[in-house]
Order: sequence, then C-alpha cells, then structure tokens
Amino acid sequence: MHMTRYVVRQLASFIPVLFVIITLTFFLVRLAPGGPFSSEKALSAEALAQINAHYNLDAPLWRQYVDYLAGLARGDLGPSMKQPSRSVSEWIAYKFPASLELGLYGLLFALCVGLPAGILAAWRPNTWTDQLPMALAMAGICIPNFVLGPLLVYVFSLRLQWLPVAQWDGFAHKILPAVTLGAVYAAYIARLSRAALLDVLSQDFIRTARAKGLSEPRVVLRHALRGGLQPVVSFLGPAAAGIITGSFVVENIFRVPGLGTEFVKAAMNRDYTMILGTVLFFAVLIMLFNLAVDVVQAWLDPRLRHG
Amino acid sequence: MDSRAEVGAIDARALLTQAEKGASLWSDAGRRLAKNRLAVAGVVVLACVFVFAAIGPFASPYSYDGQDRENRFAPPSGAHWFGTDNLGRDLLVRTMVGGRVSLMVGLAATAVSLVIGVLYGATAGFVGGRLDQAMMRVVDVLYTLPFTIFAIILVTYSGQSIVLVFVAIGAVEWLTMARIVRGQIMSLREKEFVDAAVVMGLSRRRILLRHLIPNALGPIIVFVTLTVPRVMLLEAFLSYLGLGVQAPMSSWGSLIREGTLAMEEYPWLLIFPSLALSLTLFSLNFLGDGLRDALDPRSSKD
Repeated sequence: MHMTRYVVRQLASFIPVLFVIITLTFFLVRLAPGGPFSSEKALSAEALAQINAHYNLDAPLWRQYVDYLAGLARGDLGPSMKQPSRSVSEWIAYKFPASLELGLYGLLFALCVGLPAGILAAWRPNTWTDQLPMALAMAGICIPNFVLGPLLVYVFSLRLQWLPVAQWDGFAHKILPAVTLGAVYAAYIARLSRAALLDVLSQDFIRTARAKGLSEPRVVLRHALRGGLQPVVSFLGPAAAGIITGSFVVENIFRVPGLGTEFVKAAMNRDYTMILGTVLFFAVLIMLFNLAVDVVQAWLDPRLRHG
Repeated sequence: MDSRAEVGAIDARALLTQAEKGASLWSDAGRRLAKNRLAVAGVVVLACVFVFAAIGPFASPYSYDGQDRENRFAPPSGAHWFGTDNLGRDLLVRTMVGGRVSLMVGLAATAVSLVIGVLYGATAGFVGGRLDQAMMRVVDVLYTLPFTIFAIILVTYSGQSIVLVFVAIGAVEWLTMARIVRGQIMSLREKEFVDAAVVMGLSRRRILLRHLIPNALGPIIVFVTLTVPRVMLLEAFLSYLGLGVQAPMSSWGSLIREGTLAMEEYPWLLIFPSLALSLTLFSLNFLGDGLRDALDPRSSKD
C-alpha cells in the first residue's frame, strides 16, 4: 500500500526536523541573557544555588542538553520552572483543550464562510456576486486579527450587547474569538477556491457536463468542486500553523485560558522547560496536520497516490 | 550599398528593436498598472501615509512622549485631532511616529529578507547540482520550523530592541524569496542569452549579477510588495503582545494594544491606529496584486 509507506516515511522524516527545532530552541533560550530565576532578587545566593541545582541549571550547558534529550526520549518534558505545581506535560494537557476548541471553531468558521463565498464568486465572475465577496476577502486579509477582535467586541459586546465580552464558558463566549481567528483563513479560502474553480470551470469535461444538460449547481458542486477543492485542502496545512500562532493574540484579546497565552508567558518569564515543551508540542502538531493534509490530498487526486 | 554598411545597419536596427523591447516590458507594465484603479489608489494612499509618518511629526506642536496631565483621554478636537491617551499624549503624533516605526521595520526587514533570499536562491539555482539540492533541503527544513514562535523567543530575549526585531523578522521571511528566485534563475539559465554571455567569456559572477538577477526582477518586485505588509503585520503582532516596541516609543501594534485596553470609554484610541495600519496594509496588497497582474499577465487568469 503506497499510502501507508508514504505516511511512515514522512513520520520518520519528522525526527531530524524535530531534532533541529529542539536544538535551536534549547540554545537560543539558554544563550540569551537572563534566566528563569535571575529576576527574583529576594533570593539569597544559597537559595538560588539550590534552585539551580534542583533544575539542573548548574551543570555545563552540553550536559543539560544531553539530559534534556534523554528526558525527551523517555517522554518526559520536565517540570515547569516558574509554575512548579504541574509538570510541562500536565500544563499542556491542562491548557491545550481550550486552544484546540478555539482553533477548531475558527477553522470551521473559515471553511463554512470561505468555501461558499468562493463558489458564489466563481459562479458569475466579474459581477457583483463576485466582487462583493472578493472585496470582503480583501478586507479579511488586510485587517489583522488584533484589530478585528477588539472591533467585534466593541460592536457586538459593548454597543449592541448581543454577545458576552470575555470569559470562556458556553458557546456564546466562543463565537467572537472563533470569528476573529478564522476571518483571515475564510478570506484566503474564498480567494483560493474562486481561482481554482474558475480554472476547472474552463476545462473540457465541464463543457461536456453542461452539454449533457446538467443543471448549473450540479455542474459546479458535483463536477468542478472536487478539483477546485485541492488548493483549499493544501492551504489547510499552513492555515493550521497560522491558526496555532494566531491563537496567541486571540487568546490574549478574549482571555481564553489556552496554551498560546501560556507560551507567551513562558517566553517572557524565561521558563526554559515550558518554552521547549510547548514549542515541541506545537511543532509536532503542525507536522501531523501537514501530513493529514497530504493524505487527504492523495485521496482527492488519484494521480498523487502513485507519485 | 556597401555590404558591410548594410550588415552594420541591420545590426543597429536589431539592437534598436531589442532596446525598445527591453524598455517596453517595463513601460507596458507601467501602463497596465496605471489602468488598475485599485493599485493607483494604493500608491496614492501609500504616498500619503509616507508623508504623514515621515514629515507629520515635525508639523505638530506636540511630541510623541509629551504628557499633559490636564488633558487625559481628551476626545478628538481641534487641538488634538485624534484625541489624547491615558497620559494626555497627543494620539495624532503618536500615530505618525508609530507609522515611522512600522514602515521602517517593514522596509528594513524586507530588505534583509530580500538580500538573503535573492543571493541564496540565485546561487542555488545558478550552480545547481548537489549544492542546489543541499541548499534547498536546508530551506525545506527551515520551512517546517514554527517561525512566529521563534520570532517571539528571539524578541523576548533580545532586550526588545527594534533593530533585532527586524533582523529577526527578515531572517524569517527570506525562505519564500529564495524559492522564487531559484525557480526563476533555473528557467533563465537555459536561455540563449546566457549561452551568449558564456561564449563572450563573462565570469559566472557577472552573468549571475548582471544578466540573470535583473531578468528575474519582476517576480522579485511583486514578492517584495507583498512581503512588506506581512512584515508590518508581524511587527504589529509582536508589539501587540507587548514584545516589540516599548513605551514611550510607539508603533501601530503597541498603539492598538493600548487602544484595546481603553476602547470601552475611549474608542478613538483604538480606531485611529487601527485605521492607519489597515489602510496601509490594504494599499500595499492592492499595489502588490496590481504589480503582479502588470508584470506577469499570465499569472492572472481572468
């Protein structure tokens, strides 16, 4: 089976890349000035030495690196240096569900809005049903999420009072963050699906389908969409990466208790283990998503299956 | 007629038409661009934003960090067109100065990515073979790295200096440029004029710098205009998270952050910087799209 072999090979190719990521992050974080405990002036030299010994920070750098890798091989991301109540793995398990939920809603919004908009635009190019969605898509691309988010809050929460401001419980609280996060991707998906559909619609088999007297919706939805979907599917890989990093800002705006907020906090506090753990986690996530996209693409286009 | 003179005349005519052709590529593109109303509007708005940011602060009676305790949170008025912030600082001046930072970071980081990307991609595409494969493998690996995350780490650790912000951003953005340039150079390398240059005994360095790269300029320019808004967005993103430009200095990202905190009662603090940033991004994107259509008519399908 070609696909299984492909997946296994891809999974194997993750290992060197992850190794590069870990190494880069490890030394980037350690070689910069300041440490997790350097700002706490109240600590006596003795206590500081004790803490450093506890977290293995007094060992030579290469030794710390080797120890960290050894821990990773055992599946141990170590303790959080600034929030020792939980280990890094526990923190990720505790904070990630909210980020995942936000990301899924965002992606869902992007697909549910972007795809129909793209299809509508491609249906009659250069008329207002094309120009209006495309103008909105341009706005979606040019208005950053940290502008859109506060704007939506101002209009829908503060002025109209339709939706709650922040917090993270119940569906109503998740609408604005999901829209904020998904808007850019909805815009890109609309543009991509429009371009791809226009491309497909000009091909011979579509003319054949029309000549057979099939209805226009049937031609577009049944015949053209399968080919038209492919650029959208391949866009979902980078989109997932963007949605993960985009959630840093959206979590910040809407006070979502997610992993993005936790990562920014860790970077500011120089929580070494927490930074490394979350970077690694995000990287694996992005890679797995890209792989999933590859598989779906092969399923959509038989030609790719035997490449 | 003397046959030698005739040959000379033909040569001259051939050279002339060639020169015309060379010029007409750009003038053609210019004409196409001028017909694109959105792109022209983009250029006009960008020029205004540029003047606004570069010269504006000199024309204002206020300074970007001058505080006026009597006038905190003053709404837009004749004295303060954009109103004032929580410390009574004039928002108009802060927006103009913030624009300087944002534009500077955008241009400088793009320049960094341009230099690295063009040299890297051109070398790989021109030399080819194993070196090319190795260099592109490096790009592939770097592509999979979560770069925004690295930018955050870099910026938090670099003492938050502006210079490092744009070096970091530029170092992130060169990958796609390298790929584009490599592809261009690889297809140009097979053209006759390169063979001619080789026959004429030009050095490889000269062929690359004087003949290949200038011919790949179209896609490079298009990509640059689309990189600038991305970079500005990344800077604003970092500043919004409180990682980029630090107070009392302002950038559009940090102003938007301050505006968000006070938007309930003082919405102008959010509106004006957001407008400035969005307008600039709009213009750059329209210009980039217009340039792409103008320089490479094949790439636009309809």
